[in-house]
Amino acid sequence: MSSISKDTSAISTLGLRVVKATGEEPTFKAGDSVKVLIRYPVGHYRVPTFVRGKRGTVEMLIKPQGINNEEEGFGRNAGLKGHYYRVAIPMTELWPDYTGSAHDGLRIEIFETWLERI
Amino acid sequence: MSQTEQLLKKLPNDIGGSPADRIEQTDHVLEPWEKRCHALADVLDFHKILNTEEKRRGVEALGSEMVGKLTYYERWIAAFAFILFQKGILTPNDLERKMTEIQARYSITTRQ
Amino acid sequence: MHSHDHHPHDHTASADKSDAPPSYYEIMETAVRELLIEKKLITAGEIRRQIEVLDSRTPALGAKIVARAWVDPEFRACLLANGRTACEEFGITFYDDTQLIVLENTDKIHNLIVCTLCSCYPRPVLGLPPDWYKAKPYRSRAVKEPRNVLAEFGTAIPEDVEIRVSDSTAMVRYLVLPQRPVGTEDFTEEQLAALVTRDAMIGVIKVNLPNEITV
Repeated sequence: MSSISKDTSAISTLGLRVVKATGEEPTFKAGDSVKVLIRYPVGHYRVPTFVRGKRGTVEMLIKPQGINNEEEGFGRNAGLKGHYYRVAIPMTELWPDYTGSAHDGLRIEIFETWLERI
Repeated sequence: MSQTEQLLKKLPNDIGGSPADRIEQTDHVLEPWEKRCHALADVLDFHKILNTEEKRRGVEALGSEMVGKLTYYERWIAAFAFILFQKGILTPNDLERKMTEIQARYSITTRQ
Repeated sequence: MHSHDHHPHDHTASADKSDAPPSYYEIMETAVRELLIEKKLITAGEIRRQIEVLDSRTPALGAKIVARAWVDPEFRACLLANGRTACEEFGITFYDDTQLIVLENTDKIHNLIVCTLCSCYPRPVLGLPPDWYKAKPYRSRAVKEPRNVLAEFGTAIPEDVEIRVSDSTAMVRYLVLPQRPVGTEDFTEEQLAALVTRDAMIGVIKVNLPNEITV
């Protein structure tokens, strides 16, 4: 199985074709519906428990790419570089008994290894 | 099902949404040592001797009792000590010797 | 380099004339720092310099940015497109690896910032955060009941205004760009900056004219 075709892009104006590195192409884009995974890693994590399993929308891709901070916490800048996303999650999704406005929401940066498309 | 699992699954700093009291709008001017401690964190991060994320992880690793009882910068300096030991940059003996020396330094000052 | 035997007072300390004995933790901090300097991993000069850097970062910087954004639509656009770049071009350097997203308050949207996991805060432009920002009540409640939190600061946001709470967990830091108060059309940039407080840039209060009562 080759993923090369997925990782190339044509810059049409110049007729150039470049191959993107593994993971260089972001998986999600603004507007995508996502769900925060339910995981319980032992040790350092940066996705609070109150957002796990919650559904939201990708508001934007964070630039530039960054090191997975959960790995960075254990070494001298050790860790896989990847994409963080600013995800919008409605308050009513987070808290069943939320009494504020139905439009109120959370915005939170989440690393790609914690999101799945829905 | 182990009842202590939660201690491993939920870090002591992961408090978003937890029950809490009224906000006390307090602030304090940093003690000189606290400011030095903050500067130390920044300088260690510049050198990547101890990066900011390692510091966060180190503070969490102090465990819920210390996280609850030590003040903000007390947690930092304790975490730095442990991380530097883990990295083999300092030994507990180094730190003990130096802290004793500093304590003695202060005693000499007050006797003068 | 330094012999500490006959120099009991630390040279990098700000003048501390107190007779109170150093606390256990102050001794630990001094020990760790001196050991790292002895091992030539850091220098006393770097620590001194970073203290100066920290002292130079105060809410006055953020206030100047807000005031400029209020009077200059082009700067405002740059600021909203890339907060860090706009600040750097304005002369406010970022000494760390963080990015800055400036969150614009409007008639329809009110922004609030928090770090539930620790104390992430836009330090390069606001300085160090207040104790309450780092303490449990604000961190746990801002993401769960923002309207009640705002009410504790004396701020009431109408139901039809959306509240967005931004929780920092990674390399992005946030600065709230408050709405410019009505009645300031003739204010100079300096006068505008004087109205902008740290708490307005965190988003717990709005910017008010001095004699206005907060609703």
